[in-house]
Amino acid sequence: MEYLSEGKERRITQLRKGILELAVMGVLYHGRHYGYSLVRVLSASGSIALKEGTIYPILGRLDRDGLVRSEWVESDQGPPRKYYALTAAGRQLFDELSQEFELLVSLVQQNWQAAEPSGRGEEGGRAKGVRQ
Amino acid sequence: MNGYPEAVGRIVTDYLERVRAQLRLVPAVEQDEFLREIQSHLYDAYQQMPGQDDVARILAVLRNFGEPAEVVAGRLPGAMVRSGARRNLPLYVVGGIFIALFGIPLGAGGAGVLVGLLCALAGVLIAYFATVGSILLVGSLLMLLGAVRFLLPHLWDQLVAMGFIQIGPPVAEFWDRFSSSEQALMLIMIASIFAAAGLGGLWLGKYMIRGLRFLFVLAFDWMRRGAQRIRRGLHRGPREVAGRAATATGFRS
Repeated sequence: MEYLSEGKERRITQLRKGILELAVMGVLYHGRHYGYSLVRVLSASGSIALKEGTIYPILGRLDRDGLVRSEWVESDQGPPRKYYALTAAGRQLFDELSQEFELLVSLVQQNWQAAEPSGRGEEGGRAKGVRQ
Repeated sequence: MNGYPEAVGRIVTDYLERVRAQLRLVPAVEQDEFLREIQSHLYDAYQQMPGQDDVARILAVLRNFGEPAEVVAGRLPGAMVRSGARRNLPLYVVGGIFIALFGIPLGAGGAGVLVGLLCALAGVLIAYFATVGSILLVGSLLMLLGAVRFLLPHLWDQLVAMGFIQIGPPVAEFWDRFSSSEQALMLIMIASIFAAAGLGGLWLGKYMIRGLRFLFVLAFDWMRRGAQRIRRGLHRGPREVAGRAATATGFRS
């Protein structure tokens, strides 16, 4: 059972990591953010608990792949902030990934409903609400 | 550190140095930019963190931010190596305990047996050459006595009278049947036999030395190869672990 528990945790972590990148792109899709503000927005949803520092490897990868652009902006409250915004390529990719994600969610829900044909309607409905 | 109380500034500086240490393989320009970004984040988070105790606030901020290794993951090729190694740490610990309990004693025992065998062979060789040397020495003395008996019979008689040369009664009775020159010839013949045996022993010893040297070289070569295999295994292990971890997570480092 310990192995199962460990495997469950590992899979949940992988799942969140995979989705986190899409979530970051989703936030940047609607406006530019610096690292801390991005974390605040993501944490405000309450669905993903993350170490704040883990956002930077994601931003680094997106930057390296040309999906985001960044610029330093002076702040009157402290050190300068590095703002990120999706590039055109990033926006296009996000649109495509969102569609893929939607398909995956529906696939997961469909399999889940097939395995549990009754008595789970309420949770299934809540699962549909994952995509915002 | 600007904008922080002194103690908090020291904590932040220490944390940033730890991050910088993790980024040692990254170009300096990228290091500086990344550290500026983290510094900015920590400052904002610290300002937003509620509480009265400054140190407790910054510690909470750093706790939420994560360990430097997590923060630099993805910017560093070796980041996943450390991550993978951490995940397999219990396995390495168990492996280490097994090696300590069984591997090292067995390995040390095997090496001890090997060294003991080599030492025993070396001892046999030394004893062999000591015997051969003794035979040659006896042959030389007999040759000298033969020469004395043949060339200086008076000296021989004096040595017998003084007790330097003693011959037992049965041998003396046999020995006295021969003339002095015949005795000298017999001594020289016996000395020649000893000398031949000694020289033959030396000749055989040459092959014994070669054989033992071959065994020594073989043993030391075997040990050297074993040590190289172990070293290669130790170097290869973390890379394979990293490769497996990267494959399993599907992460691009």
